[in-house]
Amino acid sequence: MTLALPSARDEAWRWSDLGALPALADAQPSGQPRAIDDLWIDTPGPRLLFVDGAYDTTRSNPGPVRIGSANPDASKHALGRLAGTTGWSLTLGRDAASETIQIVHVATGGANHLAAEIVLDEDATASIVESFAGEGWTNRAASIRLARSARLMVARRFVQDAGFQSHADTAEIGQGASLATTSLVAGAADSRLDGHLSISGIEAYAEAGGALLGRARQRHDAQFVVRHAAANGQSRQIWRAVADEQAIASAAARVEVARHAQKTDGEQSLRGLLLTRTAAINLKPELEIFADDVKCGHGATVGELDRQALFYLASRGIAPLPARAMLTRAFVADAVARIGSEAVREAFADTADDWLRGTIA
Amino acid sequence: MLNIQNLHAETAGKAILKGITLAINPGEIHAIMGPNGAGKSTLAYTLGGRPGYAVTEGLATFDGADLLAMEPHERAAAGLFLGFQYPVEIPGVSNLQFLREALNAQRKQRGEEPLSGAEFIKIARAEATSLGLDHEMLKRPVNVGFSGGEKKRNEMVQMGIIAPKLAILDETDSGLDIDALKAVGHGINTIMRKPDKAVLLITHYQRLLDYVKPDFVHVLADGRIVRSGGPELAHELEREGYVGIDGVAA
Ligand SMILES: Nc1ncnc2c1ncn2[C@@H]1O[C@H](COP(=O)(O)OP(=O)(O)OP(=O)(O)O)[C@@H](O)[C@H]1O
Ligand SMILES: [Mg+2]
Repeated sequence: MTLALPSARDEAWRWSDLGALPALADAQPSGQPRAIDDLWIDTPGPRLLFVDGAYDTTRSNPGPVRIGSANPDASKHALGRLAGTTGWSLTLGRDAASETIQIVHVATGGANHLAAEIVLDEDATASIVESFAGEGWTNRAASIRLARSARLMVARRFVQDAGFQSHADTAEIGQGASLATTSLVAGAADSRLDGHLSISGIEAYAEAGGALLGRARQRHDAQFVVRHAAANGQSRQIWRAVADEQAIASAAARVEVARHAQKTDGEQSLRGLLLTRTAAINLKPELEIFADDVKCGHGATVGELDRQALFYLASRGIAPLPARAMLTRAFVADAVARIGSEAVREAFADTADDWLRGTIA
Repeated sequence: MLNIQNLHAETAGKAILKGITLAINPGEIHAIMGPNGAGKSTLAYTLGGRPGYAVTEGLATFDGADLLAMEPHERAAAGLFLGFQYPVEIPGVSNLQFLREALNAQRKQRGEEPLSGAEFIKIARAEATSLGLDHEMLKRPVNVGFSGGEKKRNEMVQMGIIAPKLAILDETDSGLDIDALKAVGHGINTIMRKPDKAVLLITHYQRLLDYVKPDFVHVLADGRIVRSGGPELAHELEREGYVGIDGVAA
């Protein structure tokens, strides 16, 4: 199969480096997964394990999740459309609530693709945590549809040791419904995260954000769009990018407000922290507003660690490396703190800490 | 304890300290007074090892060790505490987390066991109470949104928890109301007025010296100590100002 990939001349792809993908697409997985025990977060609920995109029946307890076909609705997305129509789906009926669903994806090289479909009926509630580990190219596309007053929280951490992690979300958020997605990229592989969240009912809420932590020569790129197509909606996009060594971390967040989406309240906060001047951070907040009565705020700043704060910490006995880790942790804390479940939040904070120890201490 | 000889230092290419000689023994409290821009904060920062402050001549030893050869965090672990004229705000780091990390980092460098969370919180609460700092402030991010007085009380809480051998306090009294001044003065006395500890108190005002009685008072002007004396010198300065003292420009 020849792999058709977007070119770096394409505006939406210029910060990503997809150069490694053709070789990964041709390579075979080793089939020898790394240990996965430490990837499970200690919280009750269904657990699903996928190894190289294949469902591991013996080590999973799927609860309400179905394995089989899934329509990820990603035909327009250059990588998402490669995810196919095989994968998992979660459909919850009216008023149904699920315990936190954990999904672990382990890859062993080569390329693996998987689709997901999440459909919540009126007033249904779900929370999903996904962890991506191992090596190779892991490609995912997920489609999310939330009916009136449904609530979905998704937290994903991308911690592969090598390779490439791509994920594309497409979401339709109905009246009074709420979707919050948080992504933490804290491994040693490159990443590309996309989201197209569409607020189609009034008084709905959409949140997309997270932290991109990069070192070595990694490239991380998050590109999210929230489209307000109905009135009185609220959206939050909060991204924190950290780059060390020769890494490049990029985040583009866009808010589109349709003409009739009055009283929209959209906020974007993009912040970058350069740990060395050899690294790079690209931030691009974008607003496209056609309604006249809206409140949309955005900020994008890139900075370095505060020298005064570093000296203050040193003057209290804290050595340079832990002091840098402490300030970096504080910098990404906002993004991770938005995760609702305490167990998940703490697990993600620990993952970020592990990364900080690896790069800084 | 602290022995400074002919210390010269510059910052931003400008010579600020021009030959300071000062010896501080255990049990002593020294006050340094002097006009704005004299180099008082520069002396504190140079002794603390702040990046950007370069020693061009002279030496400083702390308990016999070469202070100037140590990294800032090593100076702290050796027992030096710097009270900042303008304490730094650190968003996202709670006061408790910061202090615990600081104390345990120092203990580790000294080869002592780290304190558990519970042990630490007990000490932190006791110090906050004794300095009149609301316990809620311990949970807030370091100095963020603290009033000037709260920041200075917080410096003293830190000093109480860290229990240094030598404290260099840069205008810890400025911006304090009378109650806070008393609390801070009381804090300095309780924490530092001990036979094996010493304080270098940088101040503009006699008021703090009413609470914390110095053994020696020095006048720093244009990067040099131009006069030294006992507590009566501070009163004289309060009455007559710096003008007229040798080496202070009118
Ligand atoms: N980063 C810097 N760049 C240039 N000049 C500096 C810098 N820091 C200090 N100085 C200068 O050094 C001199 C001494 O400053 P310092 O802050 O030590 O004075 P001070 O005695 O503490 O004054 P104050 O009583 O106002 O606190 C001043 O002339 C000041 O302008
Ligand atoms: Mg000063």
